[in-house]
Amino acid sequence: MGNPDVKATLPSFGETGRSASASRQLDGSPAMLTTRLEAMIDAARKNSLWPFPFGTACCAIEFMSFMMAHYDVSRFGAEVVRFSPRQSDLLIVAGTVTDKMAPVMVRIYEQMAEPKYVISMGVCACTGGFYRAYHVVQGIDEFIPVDVYVPGCPPTPEALLQGVMKLQEMIANGETKYQRTVAAKKASGA
Amino acid sequence: MNGESMENRKETLAAIRTAFPEGGEVIELPGGDIQSFRVDRALLPELARHLKSDPKLGFNLLADVCGVDYPGREERFEVVYHLASLENGHRLRLRVPVREDDAVVPSVYGVWKAADWFEREAFDLFGIRFEGHPNLKRILCHPAFRGHALRKDYDAGQRWLLREGEQDEPAWAHENPEDEDHFETQVLNFGPSHPATHGTLRIVVRLDGEVITRAEVEIGYLHRCFEKMAESHTWNQVIPYTDRLNYCSAMMNGVGYALAVEKMVGIEAPPRAQMIRLILSELSRIMDHIIDVGANLNDLGAMTPFLYMYQAREEMYSVLEACCGSRLTMSYVRIGGLSHDVPDDFVESVRYLLKRIPKLVGEMETLITQNRIFRDRTEGIGTISAEDAVDWGWTGPCLRAAGVAYDVRKAYPYLGYETFDFQVPIAHAGDTYARYLVRVEEMKQSLSIVEQALARLEPGPVIIDDHRVALPPKEMVYTEMESLIWHFKLVMEGMKVPAGEAYGFTEAANGELGYYIVSDGGGKPYRIKVRPPCFAIFQAFPHILKGHMVSDTVAIMSSLNVIAGELDR
Amino acid sequence: MNARDVIVCDPKPMRFWQRFYLIEVGKGLAVTLRHFLGNLFARKYTVTVEWPEVKREYSERLRGRHILLARPDGSPRCVACYMCEEACPAECIHIEAEDVAESPTVEYEKRPKVFTIDLLRCVYCGFCVDACPKEAIVMSRTHEMAFASRGEAIVGLEELMQKGPYEKLDLGYRPYYGAPRTRIELPIPVKAPEPTAVG
Repeated sequence: MGNPDVKATLPSFGETGRSASASRQLDGSPAMLTTRLEAMIDAARKNSLWPFPFGTACCAIEFMSFMMAHYDVSRFGAEVVRFSPRQSDLLIVAGTVTDKMAPVMVRIYEQMAEPKYVISMGVCACTGGFYRAYHVVQGIDEFIPVDVYVPGCPPTPEALLQGVMKLQEMIANGETKYQRTVAAKKASGA
Repeated sequence: MNGESMENRKETLAAIRTAFPEGGEVIELPGGDIQSFRVDRALLPELARHLKSDPKLGFNLLADVCGVDYPGREERFEVVYHLASLENGHRLRLRVPVREDDAVVPSVYGVWKAADWFEREAFDLFGIRFEGHPNLKRILCHPAFRGHALRKDYDAGQRWLLREGEQDEPAWAHENPEDEDHFETQVLNFGPSHPATHGTLRIVVRLDGEVITRAEVEIGYLHRCFEKMAESHTWNQVIPYTDRLNYCSAMMNGVGYALAVEKMVGIEAPPRAQMIRLILSELSRIMDHIIDVGANLNDLGAMTPFLYMYQAREEMYSVLEACCGSRLTMSYVRIGGLSHDVPDDFVESVRYLLKRIPKLVGEMETLITQNRIFRDRTEGIGTISAEDAVDWGWTGPCLRAAGVAYDVRKAYPYLGYETFDFQVPIAHAGDTYARYLVRVEEMKQSLSIVEQALARLEPGPVIIDDHRVALPPKEMVYTEMESLIWHFKLVMEGMKVPAGEAYGFTEAANGELGYYIVSDGGGKPYRIKVRPPCFAIFQAFPHILKGHMVSDTVAIMSSLNVIAGELDR
Repeated sequence: MNARDVIVCDPKPMRFWQRFYLIEVGKGLAVTLRHFLGNLFARKYTVTVEWPEVKREYSERLRGRHILLARPDGSPRCVACYMCEEACPAECIHIEAEDVAESPTVEYEKRPKVFTIDLLRCVYCGFCVDACPKEAIVMSRTHEMAFASRGEAIVGLEELMQKGPYEKLDLGYRPYYGAPRTRIELPIPVKAPEPTAVG
């Protein structure tokens, strides 16, 4: 059950990736200049993610491990944790999101700087986990688009690092939901 | 475990009978793990005052208030109060039945302030109204929620959506008390997503300049319906849920739950299992205090100690994970023991931790304890007196920092704590700095307990050999028909707990963690009510805040160690 | 409670020199400097594990992704008894049984036609492993997972079935501990072991 009003405000997810459309000129030949530039921008983006830790529950404790010296996420260029959505481009939803919390999450997502990505950490955020209950959102993708789902209850910090690496790969390939939406808009000439 | 004797019960009964004679509406119920009375609601306020003020009774701590739903009965709901007297160590349970069409009970907020949030919770989840409560509104569920979730006829999967703009605001947030001479008040909103809220809480404060004049706290942003979920799972399946109550120290929740259920069934875990439970509980207490002290410092701008101390947590994770297979949410306890024995080199690795943790904590102490910046920011901040703390239902390190030497491990020993040599740290100031000092000392005491326990760790079984409770060993399941049948029965139906009720309580990292369990004799709990320590602590928070600066909010809140998972369940 | 059981830890008075910030700040800086220099030169205090090149080794009880074990002939050991489905608190296991056409023994008259686990529902509590009477479902040490969609995470028989010798699988939580890791390595090794010369 989703909230129709919230869904309506979200961009729809295009199916075509950039590799198919934006990187080619109209006659089909590769668009050298723009491709290079976009690849460069994407490389910059993927190596300097600014996460917003939307930590609500147990996963937030593992998120701390992920930030701390032992795992040290700064090796992946994502250590600048910002608690202001306007300064961050990666929303890490760590923990159970309840119906009471969902509007807050949507608002934070909407306030984030573009391009924005979402990692759903832990099974509660992904699907609700074993809380099939009256106050728990059954997966945050009811409300916001999610790029990477990291299973585990809570996931080990390695799993979250794996998720960040997967996201970096997706950004480089233009496969995130946001990039696909933009690419689809461009392709349709809007 | 509840440290009472027949004489104790008789004395209490006699003291109650002086004001409420035999044959009235205060009826003593026979037996039970705790002395219980059935009380007519009309007499409740009078009885409450008597229980608190009579020096022979002196029930100054209201541990818990909860509702129970019995749809078949004429008087459908029952409000259950758990009381404790910190002076003479006695415990009491009051049961007040009410009808569905007239579900109103007089509030006891005037007697014990601790009733504030507990009564709101019973109102939210059962729809029982508490007459005379100053602020009776929903506390855990959101304002757009319809119905009362813990009633037996409420479908566990029935959700209600909250839209933006429907959130609850305190009534006073829209008032404008400014006049011509004074125009500096404003309303400030903290959270629910704020770096210092550690989880999800919301604080609305009214500021006069920079001084807080009024505050209100909203919780329930992590209400994961633990109690409803527990009713649809078998007794053992509840254990993974308990791990996620206070996730900073998952082990202790499971231990408390298992002890409460074992008390109902009338079994005891083997000595080795008890000792391992104790060792891991004390390690968890250290882990919890590391998070709490570290986060408190982090919020005050000192990140370094947290970074250093967190390494101790990582190393403890190594040990915990080798025991049970998970770093944080352990699912290690089973009713009747533990799921596995500890690995062979458990003792050596814990010995390593015993050497390592004092080093890391010592580093933090060098950095912080006599640091003037820290002391200036925390001394005299968030002060609470001993009487107020008890009145609000505080337990644990926060209560001890206010000068009350109450520790469940000493007052009602369990797991053999009475045989260990340790001291309960107290402080008298009741402020944020005192809470820090108590926690640091508690870590040292826990280390000493672990050291003593390691020396006493004897080989032996770790789970009770009773196939009505515990799964038979696997090699027997593979080979013997009878064990296989027991195995099937236990997995399909779950173990059976005799009908009745019990209140089991242990000293968790934050204070007294209570489980009030009602069983109807089936394979699933009829009702489990958790008495989360920080729920009682946090309800006093808006009252402590008054007169402080905005920046102190953060210091006070993290020193109370509010864990949202346990607070909202 | 006896007075002996209580230890009073009221704040110590500030000494004269502690009232000046500088000495305490200096003491604090000495601690941080020791860590800093130790990290920079000796690498003695380094605690950062160089993941993904170096993996922190977890024990053989780690509850990771599930494995369905196979019989020597390659068919799943599972007899579709629904025990794991019952024991799962998250209800993430779904089994549909079918009769085995030519049953070699009475013992194996059923097998799973469909066996799916929703890895994004599972809470990795290990109850399915405890419940299995045939040691058909065990857990591996695979815990580094990330999915791009929810559908991807619902795994069926093919993905879960692991063939090959028992020892070669990276087994985690399971009823027997064939060769349990007997050392909990502390402090946690963070650097890759030096390559040993082959010869």
